Amino acid sequence: MIEVEARKEAASRAARLDAVFAALADPTRRAIIERLSRSEARVTDVAEPFAMSLNAVSKHIRVLEASGVVERRRKGRDHILSINTRSLNEVDGWIERMRRYWGARLDAMERVLLELEKDHKSGPKDRKHGSR
Amino acid sequence: MDRDDATGPVVQIRRRLRARAEQIFDLWTKPDLMVRWMSPFPGAVVCQASCDPRPGGAFSLVMSSAESSRVVSGAYVHVDRPRKLVFTWIGPLTNNVNTLVTVELNPRGDETDLVLTHERLPTSAIHEGHAKGWGHILDHLADAVAKDV
Repeated sequence: MIEVEARKEAASRAARLDAVFAALADPTRRAIIERLSRSEARVTDVAEPFAMSLNAVSKHIRVLEASGVVERRRKGRDHILSINTRSLNEVDGWIERMRRYWGARLDAMERVLLELEKDHKSGPKDRKHGSR
Repeated sequence: MDRDDATGPVVQIRRRLRARAEQIFDLWTKPDLMVRWMSPFPGAVVCQASCDPRPGGAFSLVMSSAESSRVVSGAYVHVDRPRKLVFTWIGPLTNNVNTLVTVELNPRGDETDLVLTHERLPTSAIHEGHAKGWGHILDHLADAVAKDV
């Protein structure tokens, strides 16, 4: 049963991560995150620099909220947006894992290249040796 | 993390290797060479690879040690020996979601610069792929790849 729970947890983590990656796969949304990474801000202030309607920016903000990257709270009449750094840390974690994985694989690939070069140099002799 | 590119976060690794591009390319596409370095398990490992390196062709890699085994698989999107190889990649490490790996090899005299880019597939491409079948996702990706050539 513990295993089932662990699998469910892994599946929901993967789904969450997918939502974050999808949210980040858009330049406007990345610009919004860039803005919010400096400080929290009101929705209207976030929307201001963009050459699009408040409505269009709001749609992007809703995608960011749904993915968990951005959080919204009310302060009087204002809606304040801030970044949930934990969700971005998960993305960094994924990237770090993949970087480590490929780093180790490329190390192994380089070792094979060296072996192939050695085989190539001592090839004819080895073959003679092997045939006896 | 690089957020300036058009597709979102990617993993990118560069290496300069003392080998010809052809030789390096073959390490990625010939099963008897793939099994010599692609398994992440230390020590004695049974590793089986099969691949069909042409656009739309599939590959799979089965790796097992005493305790565990894993399978990674994918499909080739772009095969241009020895300069460029693009394939989808799915396995436990990617949480079993599709990702895209691009290997570019640029000759520099006796050496070769390898640039590996690993990214999650754009969600739109995945949705399209599910809706219309696997062939379309490859078309979509081939277009994306052709654009940045």
